Amino acid sequence: MKKNITIALSVLVAATTWIACKKDTPIDEDGLLITTRRECYVSSFEMLGPDFVSVRVGTALIDTMAQTVKVTLQFGTDLKNLYPQFTLAQDCKLTPKIAGRTDFSDTLNPKKWTVISGDRQIQKTYTVNVSVQPR
Amino acid sequence: MAALFIITSCKKENYALPVASDKLQDQAIKRTLGPNIVGQNIEFAYAMAILPTKGKLVSCVAEASIAGAAGTYMENRSFYTASTGADVGVTVGSPSVTSKTTTTVTYTKDTSAATLRYYYVIPEEARGKTVTIKFTATSDDGETKSTTMGPYTIAKMDMKLNMKVTDGNLMYISIADTAVYNAADAATHAANIDLVYLYRNLTTSAFNHALVAPAANAQYLPGVTLPAGVNRTAKLLKTFNMQDHNLAPNLQYSALFIDDLDFQKLDLSGQPNFAINLKQEAGVWVETADGKYRAYIFFNTVATGTATVSIKRYAL
Repeated sequence: MKKNITIALSVLVAATTWIACKKDTPIDEDGLLITTRRECYVSSFEMLGPDFVSVRVGTALIDTMAQTVKVTLQFGTDLKNLYPQFTLAQDCKLTPKIAGRTDFSDTLNPKKWTVISGDRQIQKTYTVNVSVQPR
Repeated sequence: MAALFIITSCKKENYALPVASDKLQDQAIKRTLGPNIVGQNIEFAYAMAILPTKGKLVSCVAEASIAGAAGTYMENRSFYTASTGADVGVTVGSPSVTSKTTTTVTYTKDTSAATLRYYYVIPEEARGKTVTIKFTATSDDGETKSTTMGPYTIAKMDMKLNMKVTDGNLMYISIADTAVYNAADAATHAANIDLVYLYRNLTTSAFNHALVAPAANAQYLPGVTLPAGVNRTAKLLKTFNMQDHNLAPNLQYSALFIDDLDFQKLDLSGQPNFAINLKQEAGVWVETADGKYRAYIFFNTVATGTATVSIKRYAL
């Protein structure tokens, strides 16, 4: 009987020690969870004007093979003051981060963002092409 | 020990009716919210009371550190709230008399307690300064009691409400003049015209209501022939859900106030000189080309080819 109690206690102590020493779930430099997901794409795209109202005309065309986003904006949109919004596959993140107003006025050199997969092993760079609706 | 706790917790506390002070008492509150703007009221409610056995109220005086503008007065009625929620006034004194900085109500009814409202109309002289209001109640036993409210900072900005703009007629807006002109009058005030209001119902794009600086690209002024000399630019920033309570007092959700500080901190660098596709309850922040003024223009209502706008303006 005494032997059984000793074994049970030993197992309990070992389990507690194992749980306590278990390595934390990995997080990246942004404090985001690194998962096992390998999906890496833009699923939808929005463009907001300085009043935070959408200036998009129709749906943005996302080509996940060519890694491009094509969006037409309303006539009168000031391309220097826009807020792009990306929706990504689960657990992905975007770089560079969108910190505020973004200047899209240099249409010859379209803006690019890179999507990084949940496992942080895959990177895909998307080019965002904007055009303005004619009057 | 436990028994001690039980005894202590169950000990009955003796209640004594509070004894009313036998002195003349008073209390004041400020009823208006938001920035204090020249030409607008600051409303106060001043309550005063004395035991009926001690005497009755004789007078109530409000003394402003800067004399109020015309229209400053004190109610000679004391209000109470009826069961319906409505304020009901009972006349207790003669109509108020205002002389320079002082507004006085003299009691004409035997009154031992009353709450009088004081409406201080902010004068031009007070712009950018601070104002204090000293309330004094006097009773017939010779007592006086005073309360000073403030200091309240009076905003530098000014405001103009419900200006009607119409495409093809009253469409030239001057921030400096806070006025709207037609083409003929705009030509005579050309140096002060900052914006053109226009409305276009296009099938190819959402143009609708727009505010455009005269110097903007011609594509944003379709069909507009500018009056001679009207050529200024401006910086504009569209915004939405900025329903200022002063500019839109009747809107259900207008619970915010734009104050001097907002204009001081506003950064319109890099902003365009046009704002297209404006809607009802939209707003536009503006900075004039000469850097003398910043303004916020709010679209109260819109209809085909016309709109009613209200402006808050801050001189830099």
